[in-house]
Amino acid sequence: MTDMTQDIDLQQVKKALKKEQNRILMQQVLANRSLVIGFVIIALLVLVAVFGPLFLTYDPNQMDVVNRLKGPSAAHWMGTDNLGRDVLSRIVYGAQISIGVGFAVAVISSFLGLIVGIYSSYYKWLDHVLMRVADGIMAFPGLLLALALMAALGGRVSNVVIAVSIVATPYIARVVRSEALALKEQTFVEATRALGASNTRIIWLHIAPNTLSSLIVQATFIFAEAIIIEAALSFLGAGVPPPAPSWGNILSDGKTYIFKAWWMTFFPGMTIVLAIIGLNLFGDGLRDLLDPHSSRGKK
Amino acid sequence: MQAKPVLEVKNLRTSFRTERGKVTAVDGVSFSLGKGEVLGVVGESGCGKSATAQSILRLFDETYTTHEGEVWFEGQDLLSLPAAAMHSVRGNHISMIFQDPLSSLNPVYTIGNQIAEAILIHKNVSRREANARVLELLKLTGIPAPEKRMGEYPHELSGGMRQRVMIAMALACESKVLIADEPTTALDVTIQAQIMALMEDLNEKLDMGIILITHDLGVVAEVCSRVVVMYLGQVVEEADVVSLFARPLHPYTQGLMKSIAQMDCDRSQPLHVIEGTVPSLHSVPAGCRFAPRCPFADDLCRTRMPELEQHGDSQKVRCWHAETILREGNADA
Repeated sequence: MTDMTQDIDLQQVKKALKKEQNRILMQQVLANRSLVIGFVIIALLVLVAVFGPLFLTYDPNQMDVVNRLKGPSAAHWMGTDNLGRDVLSRIVYGAQISIGVGFAVAVISSFLGLIVGIYSSYYKWLDHVLMRVADGIMAFPGLLLALALMAALGGRVSNVVIAVSIVATPYIARVVRSEALALKEQTFVEATRALGASNTRIIWLHIAPNTLSSLIVQATFIFAEAIIIEAALSFLGAGVPPPAPSWGNILSDGKTYIFKAWWMTFFPGMTIVLAIIGLNLFGDGLRDLLDPHSSRGKK
Repeated sequence: MQAKPVLEVKNLRTSFRTERGKVTAVDGVSFSLGKGEVLGVVGESGCGKSATAQSILRLFDETYTTHEGEVWFEGQDLLSLPAAAMHSVRGNHISMIFQDPLSSLNPVYTIGNQIAEAILIHKNVSRREANARVLELLKLTGIPAPEKRMGEYPHELSGGMRQRVMIAMALACESKVLIADEPTTALDVTIQAQIMALMEDLNEKLDMGIILITHDLGVVAEVCSRVVVMYLGQVVEEADVVSLFARPLHPYTQGLMKSIAQMDCDRSQPLHVIEGTVPSLHSVPAGCRFAPRCPFADDLCRTRMPELEQHGDSQKVRCWHAETILREGNADA
């Protein structure tokens, strides 16, 4: 009888404890300023990219030669470019392409990086092969390699995603590999093997889930990096083919008129800066939240 | 007790390829485990107890490890089985629990999930049947409120509870042999006693053979029926538990016995220690491996390795001076 009541009390205490834990977690999230600010910036940009077109009056590719190179006004908030296209419209539609490319790269390179990283941590001979290939890719400056790949693949949005993913994958693979190497030596992996689990099972069901927190943090940085590389490629004319608007293309169009029409470079430039700051803040915040070894205790 | 053994280890030799050369962690170990028997394996850290256990299940990375000898289980030599066939032995016929229950469970899965996994790997049952079995196992291992516990994560459980979960996982497929590698070392004393009592209980109920690896002679005296004493990768003495405690024949075993704190000992005297340390496996002494630390050692000991020889009906010892020691009784060195 007493046993029963004790048990019920314990459950209640546990429930209260869980609530308290959730509250503390929430508090930690909110107190983490870079996480919150970063998240708000990214959320805003994504909202703009998705719903922005509904509120736009101008088509991003519609030329209006009479009104070319007009500064910011009530009709064109961010002015018009050399062909009379509305810069705001181009930036909003460009957000779809730039953020889309960044996101696709983050997803694809995370997936590939997870596979490469986890298998090379598990099989020694594969490690030598895969990590030397990764070293090879990392030896080139990312932009240069992406440029070369674009030259080989040809200018298409999908090729931008492929090229940048190839460049980014080793960075994810490295993080996953180092995490997985440590996990592999944990007793629970040995215990799972002692239960008769196959290597595939151990790799995918036991090691992989434990690497995810580091992988997600790294992926947000890759997301930011991918947006920069895409912009740089487009700026150099090797990225998203014009006239499709991407932030890099808009910048590229503006560079000829930089002294005549500052708004053509200022607004897309600021948008890129904003996106990168947002992603980096978010990534830093996530790392602080997920990684118990980081400096959370110091605050 | 000494019916047909379930598990028979014959001349097992496990060596690792390392940067500093080949290291033999287990050097010609033989023993057998009867059905429903509790066999203790004792020795100090680094004597090859755990390596022996892991060799039986072939848990080492085999690109760096070579196994010689034989491990017979149900008419099969486990060491010559193909790697894939080992998967169906591990956890299914022979299971293992580990020293540190705090890190033996995967932090991202609930304990119910992890125990169910042990079942689903080997048995062709539905998730629901597996869960029913999990509940049964949790009850069997004495976990209170098992329905609630099933949905909890390892970090929500205490060390003792986690070790119970590990035991439940090991029991999941009703394996015939349980290898317990220092199952109580990381737990505090009262919990140790509970876990040992649980293991004894399960041994009786399920008739499961247990190999209990430990350095706690108190635990050995309590639960084991036979004991193997290991030193530096070799078996130095094997005996039933009564004989071992009554008249330890190997000087190393004697040293171990004397090192136990007794309730009625003279507290003004410091506790007995075996002088010196275990030599590195890279520089194994010629002759008897215990000679450098042995009070009885003479030239013979330092040059030639003694064999494991029968003394009496139930005792085997690896020592040149066993006869002398036996004659002089437990007299002090």
